[in-house]
Amino acid sequence: MKRVILSSFVLLAFLICFPIGSHAQLKPGDPIIIGVPTFLGSIEGGESLKCVLMAAEEINAKGGVTIKGAKHPIKIEASEIRDGAPGVPVPEALLGIEKIILDKKVHAIVVGPFRSEALMATMDLLAKYKVPMLGTIAMSPASEAKIIENPEKYKYVFRTCLTSRYFVNLLTGVMDQLNKEFGFKKAYLMNQDVLWARGTTAGLKGWYEKSGWEVTGHDEFPTGASDFSSALMKAKAKDAQLLFTCFDMPQSGILVKQYKSIKVPGLMAGFISPMAGEVAWKSFDGQIGGLMNAIFELGNIPSAKYPPAQAFYDAYKKKYKDPLQSGHGPAPSYESVYVLKEAIERAGTVEADTLVKALEQTDRAGVMGRVKFDKGHQVVYGTDPAKEAVAAMFQWSEAGERRIVYPTAIAEKKIWAPEWVLKSKK
Amino acid sequence: MFQGTLIYGFVNSVTLALIALGFNLTFGISGVANFAYGALYILAAYTAWILLTWLKINYFLSIVLAVIFTSFIGGLIYRFILLRVRGMPISEVIASFGIGLAILEFFRFLGFVGSEYTLPVFIDGSVSLGGTYIDVQRLLIVGIGIALVIFLWLFTHYTKTGLAFRGMAQEERTALILGINSDKMATLSLAFGSGLAGVAAITILPLGQVAIEGGYSALLNALAVCIVGGLGSTVGVLVAAVLIGFAQTFTATYIGSHWMMIVSLVAILVILIFKPSGLFGKQKELEERI
Repeated sequence: MKRVILSSFVLLAFLICFPIGSHAQLKPGDPIIIGVPTFLGSIEGGESLKCVLMAAEEINAKGGVTIKGAKHPIKIEASEIRDGAPGVPVPEALLGIEKIILDKKVHAIVVGPFRSEALMATMDLLAKYKVPMLGTIAMSPASEAKIIENPEKYKYVFRTCLTSRYFVNLLTGVMDQLNKEFGFKKAYLMNQDVLWARGTTAGLKGWYEKSGWEVTGHDEFPTGASDFSSALMKAKAKDAQLLFTCFDMPQSGILVKQYKSIKVPGLMAGFISPMAGEVAWKSFDGQIGGLMNAIFELGNIPSAKYPPAQAFYDAYKKKYKDPLQSGHGPAPSYESVYVLKEAIERAGTVEADTLVKALEQTDRAGVMGRVKFDKGHQVVYGTDPAKEAVAAMFQWSEAGERRIVYPTAIAEKKIWAPEWVLKSKK
Repeated sequence: MFQGTLIYGFVNSVTLALIALGFNLTFGISGVANFAYGALYILAAYTAWILLTWLKINYFLSIVLAVIFTSFIGGLIYRFILLRVRGMPISEVIASFGIGLAILEFFRFLGFVGSEYTLPVFIDGSVSLGGTYIDVQRLLIVGIGIALVIFLWLFTHYTKTGLAFRGMAQEERTALILGINSDKMATLSLAFGSGLAGVAAITILPLGQVAIEGGYSALLNALAVCIVGGLGSTVGVLVAAVLIGFAQTFTATYIGSHWMMIVSLVAILVILIFKPSGLFGKQKELEERI
């Protein structure tokens, strides 16, 4: 009897120490379970899930993932964690992620937290349960620093989307071009008061100061704010030539309408999430001509100069009968499933530590450019899709078309300034 | 810039008053704090959008139908849910807040998220007021806000239903003695208040976007104005809207935009400490406590 009790305790201790270790052994035909816990209620989260499903369907249609000669279909388990909704605390998002790990016994996670604040907290959870994750929305580079500082613990966290650091690189390239083309040197900064937007704006502000630009003002807005008139009046009074914007909330769309009605004689450039998709032209009554908006990953916007991005964009539109609306998330989410598939096939297992090593060896031509991870498990972004993954800046034409204007390797048109902006600068 | 701040401060004040009028009217008549108010505000906007975009109904007809529909839903909420808990303030708050959450999150569940949910402005373009440009829609907000206040005054002073509303607001038991059906009036007050939320939504939201989060901020703004002005007092609502509206705009212009959102919260805090019944509130028992 004593032996039975002792054995039960040993077994229990083993199960507690290795809670999901056993499911790493797959039998032929067993599905590979990929979890998608994110803020599905957001446009970025919702479209990212659709792209994950699209990639999984494509892979399954070709037989699935091959591990040591046996085929395994991919099964997607999505979960709403609402971490981007105002007032939802990080611990609530963590509970959602822990639940999907334990209940659905996922082999890996893609997309992951929406807010960087939630990503930072999730890293410990992933280390605890040894679940690899390819994040595609949260953007703070703080997670890379954490991985470099303690690689053994945090090695399970990868990111395929753009980070604030790379976004600043894109922006400084655009600012240089604006300076050369139009002689712009005075900027007014407006951003949402969230981690990634604060980081991006601070990075750009530092660059402006070093590069001889004058920052005429800086306003931060809490998530949910919908009246920007005071900041726009200040920008106008201080004669700003450029209004830098950095927002990912739905209400930020009003900013462009207000900017037009107050007639601020400066060019607007940056990121306003509702302005990214092609439907924005109709939604905002065609009043967004001249606006420059970033697309965080190529593929979220089509490019005739890079066929994989064009093919992905068209395939999404064909499948879901609607174009992509978000400029951030969908392309790397789609790409992540393929990155994971190839890594599993290289590793020959779904066991986490082996899979992480295989993920580190990733090098593929993806829909947003070439996909390779650096030491911080971050996909390297640059300006040429043949060499690195690429983010892009596009500009709305007065005819309602989105035209990529930066980087030059994929640019379809030169940056232009509306007549009323140029007139005021003379 | 000072002139611009004054103009935009005034528009902001009228916007806040417009948002708060319906909440205040319902509370003043029936005593029900309708915490589903923000959800009804967004319901009206989504209804107008659906009628306009999916059913291709004329914009102004869509607006009218959306306001009527929202009023109807408000009436139903009272008749089938709030009536059962009337007189139990905590239950009323919990029930109405729950209904509001359910409505808003149902829209999220249905996928009403994205940039395509916008309503067209009534008249496009902007005009210059002494060098300050302002959109025509904002001027319309001011016009509609003032017209609504005048309409409400006339309605409550010269119509049978309006007089019954006032009777209920003054003393419900005496109103009952005089043959006023209090349940019917309370239902009407919910419907009327919800309709006003609808009018506010379709007037204000063409300037921006219809988003679920907007429901929560509309409720917060309505609460702030009503608490500061004094629950149930129309004069209080107008004065509080002016105070908070100007304070928000001046804070955003001269201190920092990220402080703007806490102005209303600070106003609630200050008023609850020094005059808990609000500037023009009639709940004297609250004042007696301090």
